[in-house]
Amino acid sequence: MTAAPPPAVALRPPDRVMRLARLGSLHQCRLSFMRILTRRMAREGWRFARPVFDFDTRGVGHAVYTAQTPDRTYSLVAFGHDLPPEMRSDRVIATAWDATFTLFDGVPAPADIERLSGNVPRQEAGRVDERSLSLSRANRSARLWDRVVSTLADGRQPDAGQIAEVGYLMRTTAVYGSGKFGAADYDTIADRPEMRAPFQAEMLSVYLTRVYQRDLVNHMARARGGHRAVPLEPGIARQLGIGNSTGLGLGPFIVNHPLLFNNWIAAREEAIARVRAVDRAAAAEIALFRNVLARSSALVARWRSAHPIQQARLADLRADLAALAERLNGDDLTGPRPWNRLVEWSEAALSLEGQELLASLILEPYGALVDDLADRMGDTDPDAFRIDGSMTVSRARALIEDTYGWALNLDWDAPEHCARAWYVSAEKLEPRVGERFEEPIADYELPLAPGRDAAAAHAALADWRDDAPLAEFLLRHPEHRFAIRRAQIAARAPYAEIRDNTIAADMLPIDLLRAKLAFFGATQFDPRSDRWVRICMYGGAPYPEELNAGNADLWVYPEVAP
Amino acid sequence: MTFSLGEVEAVARKAARGAGYSWGMAEEAGRAARWLCAAGLDGAGLLAEALAAADGTDPAELAPRALDDWRGPSGRLCPLMAGAALSDAVAFWKETGVTMAGVTVPALVLPFAAMAARASGANVTVRWADVTAVTDGRALSLCGAANLPTGPADVSVSAGGAMTAPLAARTRATPRAEDWAALNALAARTYAPATEESRMKGAGAGLTDND
Repeated sequence: MTAAPPPAVALRPPDRVMRLARLGSLHQCRLSFMRILTRRMAREGWRFARPVFDFDTRGVGHAVYTAQTPDRTYSLVAFGHDLPPEMRSDRVIATAWDATFTLFDGVPAPADIERLSGNVPRQEAGRVDERSLSLSRANRSARLWDRVVSTLADGRQPDAGQIAEVGYLMRTTAVYGSGKFGAADYDTIADRPEMRAPFQAEMLSVYLTRVYQRDLVNHMARARGGHRAVPLEPGIARQLGIGNSTGLGLGPFIVNHPLLFNNWIAAREEAIARVRAVDRAAAAEIALFRNVLARSSALVARWRSAHPIQQARLADLRADLAALAERLNGDDLTGPRPWNRLVEWSEAALSLEGQELLASLILEPYGALVDDLADRMGDTDPDAFRIDGSMTVSRARALIEDTYGWALNLDWDAPEHCARAWYVSAEKLEPRVGERFEEPIADYELPLAPGRDAAAAHAALADWRDDAPLAEFLLRHPEHRFAIRRAQIAARAPYAEIRDNTIAADMLPIDLLRAKLAFFGATQFDPRSDRWVRICMYGGAPYPEELNAGNADLWVYPEVAP
Repeated sequence: MTFSLGEVEAVARKAARGAGYSWGMAEEAGRAARWLCAAGLDGAGLLAEALAAADGTDPAELAPRALDDWRGPSGRLCPLMAGAALSDAVAFWKETGVTMAGVTVPALVLPFAAMAARASGANVTVRWADVTAVTDGRALSLCGAANLPTGPADVSVSAGGAMTAPLAARTRATPRAEDWAALNALAARTYAPATEESRMKGAGAGLTDND
């Protein structure tokens, strides 16, 4: 790894970064997992093929899409189904889908396809094995699918405005990875360079799912229209992303993987600090920034949400972009430390949405300075789990005060501070969040309130002598083992902990979801409630046959007329 | 059918929680079962045995009295409680070793000895009955009985020892069906019974998720 000089601009402090409202305002950036993948695929010249595409007129059948890296081949195996409309649901409790997928490690033989066909369509009720790296499903957009099929069948292109309104033709829901339902553990592929950055297998499966979406709509239009039918025009197809509908499941993930989450945030914060430390911006860098800002504004302009919370944030964001444009009329960015001055200005002048969008955008001209950070975003320290029991009680108290200071003076018995409880339902084994004082769930509560737990551990430590070792304390107090482990992890991983109350009455689970999805590279966040969000993935991305070094990176920003 | 090690860890963690351990201890149980499977032993079966031996007993009754007294108030020791303390406290016993009295499932101490080995940078030797096990933190070599003798047994742990013929590392687990069922039954205790309110509100979807 290149030893970049230590940034002369301090990292933004965790107390500011790790608040739910800010995490819930994050935007994709150069270090988003989709973009890490598309850059690598182009750089390494991955080759793509579709050796199997066998569907009837209703879209029932299967396809295989292969992605060949310099070292190996991955295959998306897609099963198409004909789902009666009344069975179509994005809920994880659904039992049938329009399409189901697995990313297969290698090229599947007919016997593999046969085995997978009996399991992948059943999703959680089926089993895959270590040759599968993901398991996922998608439903057609009821708003758009049939309309696009019939328009193409009639020999016409669909209205680009309608396409932009929805953004996709199929919407994925859960994309299961590492070890789930029998799939390969991430550990078994973690040493492959192309899998080192987080979620690359899942991102590849979604990238190929988007190709399937396009190919299937063309196939069904041809089946319906015969000679009259036309394929989706490439420009319109490129605008299409693949949708995703995400419930609560992602929220617990970032709390349950503190070191991993730290590494994501820390990489982005380090990137921001490196760019802020740039003394003079070259003309080409300034031009690129202005270009992506204009294109990002176009993306924001087409961003729609039906939810009042996001509508208010979008109004703020649009005002932020106007303020930013005005600021840039008076600042040509040729002065010293232009990015640092811009960020400092934004902290007082813009909403959190605007601040975080700007922080992501200033990275764009500086791939050479920041892209190496992608290699630091995985969780590479299995020993972080072990508790150092030789640490003294006084040191443990100090660690808790450092990371959880915000939590120590909160009255955790006050109903508004502990109104929620996270739990797993017996029905479908999915994480849910409920009302502690209204539902019989407290006995089943998951440990997803690190602040409360740290405050309780801190109170218990107060009764112990300063130089007692933690090993002794934990022998008597195993109930604080969870909090002590996290405090020790957070001591070396400053962005590991969300510094906000994750069980407060006014907590918005969508903030947790947004933080994770922004790192995936998602755009067009559209919360459907306070705990469920729709997004678009790979909108604007080049298809495999178009992918090259020139379009592998900035595809997320729509082209605009100069 | 084989299971991923992630599946083993997840069900082991929930099973320990369902058996009455704290979440922090449950995490240890998950890691321990996973490590045993990766090292080539039956992690699911060993954990199921330990949880069955502990079920209904206050974990404190099965924990060492102190860092210099590795006996439990009940006369037996739970390998999770004793093992976690062993890993936590390696700095204190590294020179002297420890002897644990009446460990219900001695082999379940091994993953904790492995954590101690990695933390201290030295191999750790674990002995009980006629078994001598040595770990460098990642792999495990075993001498003695082909079928690991179960407890309760006194277990001695000391720094040092040489790895002879390490067991082949595994990336998949093949638990016996009855052990897997026992772990899942304990894990099910952690799931909240579904209510209509939970179904409609808990995960956040209303009725309009189909457009």
